[in-house]
Amino acid sequence: MELSDAALVDIVLKGESEAYAKLVARYRDRYARFALHMLGNREDAEEALQDAFVRAYRSLHRCGEPARFGSWLLAILANRCRTAGGKRARHEKRFVSAEDRHFAIALDHPADASAWREEIVRALARLDADQREAFLLKHVEDMEYEQMAVVTGAGVSALKMRVKRARERMRRMLTEGGHAPAR
Amino acid sequence: MRQHDEFDATQEGDEMLERAVEELRRPLRVNSALFDARVMDEVLRAPSGVRQRLAHLARPRTIRVSPIIALAAGLLFAVSLAGSVLYILPTSRRVDSGAEPRTVAHAAASSPVVQFGFTAPNASSVALVGDFNDWDPKATPLRAASTGGVWSVEVPIPPGRHLYAFVVDGKVWRPDPAAPKAPGDDFGQPNSALTVVDPRMR
Amino acid sequence: MTNRSLFALAALLMCAPAALSAQDSRLDARLDARTREAVVTLIDSARAEGIPSEPLVQKALEGTSKHADAPRILAAVRSLARELGDATAALGAASTEDEVIAGASALHAGIAPAALSHMRASRVHGSLTVALAVLSDLIARGVPGDTATTVISALTGAGAPDADLLRFQQGVERDIAQGATPSAALGVRAQGAFPNSAPRRTP
Repeated sequence: MELSDAALVDIVLKGESEAYAKLVARYRDRYARFALHMLGNREDAEEALQDAFVRAYRSLHRCGEPARFGSWLLAILANRCRTAGGKRARHEKRFVSAEDRHFAIALDHPADASAWREEIVRALARLDADQREAFLLKHVEDMEYEQMAVVTGAGVSALKMRVKRARERMRRMLTEGGHAPAR
Repeated sequence: MRQHDEFDATQEGDEMLERAVEELRRPLRVNSALFDARVMDEVLRAPSGVRQRLAHLARPRTIRVSPIIALAAGLLFAVSLAGSVLYILPTSRRVDSGAEPRTVAHAAASSPVVQFGFTAPNASSVALVGDFNDWDPKATPLRAASTGGVWSVEVPIPPGRHLYAFVVDGKVWRPDPAAPKAPGDDFGQPNSALTVVDPRMR
Repeated sequence: MTNRSLFALAALLMCAPAALSAQDSRLDARLDARTREAVVTLIDSARAEGIPSEPLVQKALEGTSKHADAPRILAAVRSLARELGDATAALGAASTEDEVIAGASALHAGIAPAALSHMRASRVHGSLTVALAVLSDLIARGVPGDTATTVISALTGAGAPDADLLRFQQGVERDIAQGATPSAALGVRAQGAFPNSAPRRTP
């Protein structure tokens, strides 16, 4: 039987830190997707996600609504993504080997799909951070505007405008390219 | 009526967008062993759990206090304007514990003391509200002087920038005419700004 | 500094309020459940980011005392959280809460984040709280932002103590009250502060 977020938060706060791993497992993949699309590369996304989980743990006692742990964590992650970007100076050069690849993307047709995916990600990268964030939360993470407002700190009408603009720009950029695999 | 080309372009655009969203929604698989290990490594390094940290962080916000001088912005005119008068206290005055208003949850007892004043000859009550007393009109009533309609109160206020206003007769909100207006969302009722200096000069 | 020690530093810099449960109950008494939930989530994620939360609580309480409706309260808290976050970014993570609060006020008044960073760089020792508060107040009085920033930056850069900054502001206000335009009042006072030269321009 699966424990709810609120129950897990409670257990962790009572001293069983190991239980936090269950929350990590619960949100890791979904939020990895968001972080990757926000930041455009795997290293930055992994770092932002790891950051967010650790910060959330360290402030867990301040999470006012344990049942909403997911939204709260996403708000932290969204902030991390904004302050991260690709600007973080890398102090160590990392070798990208099979072992270091922390993300794997499940693809049906790797050859065709990767160019298309690259194009999408490139288009996303050309949006403003605000617009990209709103677009991803609405269309990929399926959030309601009210919830997006809580996560991003922006107002509902501003978010609607951002989504609208993002859609317009994405539409334009994608029709100018030409890598979409044939159906 | 739209041109044939435009219509095609829009439809094509919508389709591309749909497909892009489809692609973006594909679930991501994370190498969990590696990722989870890194997170839990950080998490478990913390001294036995979050509660210790809670105890460690639960000390009050540092308020540098030295009850020598309190300076408030917007004064130095010891001129009585139509709304209010604000005085600087040249030396610290310990307010009598009997007269000290119940307020200022966040200030230490030795915060600089600021005197607030408001002229309202026809009022039956005047209260001070601000970010130092939870904006509670019941927390800090002013005392009326015996003549002249000047109301006043002395309050310890921690150093830093504060917003405040007066509430007359329990319902009418007034800023302090002698003080700078505070920018910011004031919900349609303007606030005044107060700057209290940390008295220790470096 | 490695990322790991940055986390540790960030955790230490997050000042917990003295009484956590007291804060929640203040909001409890005054907001409906749904608004409260949204406000609390906002405040908690701000705290996790190292953004001062007490001003957000106070903004929510201000709204309830003024009988504002829930969406307006939420909008005000959000916008303040944004400004506090931007001020933290511009002034640096080692800033005190007071500096960040005053910085948010300056940003709201229209000062650019870059100007805040510049002031931080020019006044390495000593709090910027009063300088930023004075800047906000001057602009509220009608002094143009660029000029005010230049003059205040010059004063802080020259090592003016807080009391002098306040006296400067009060002088400008007195002149305005007596009929000078805000720019003129600032100009005259700035001249007095730097009798032999024009203030250094903010780059």
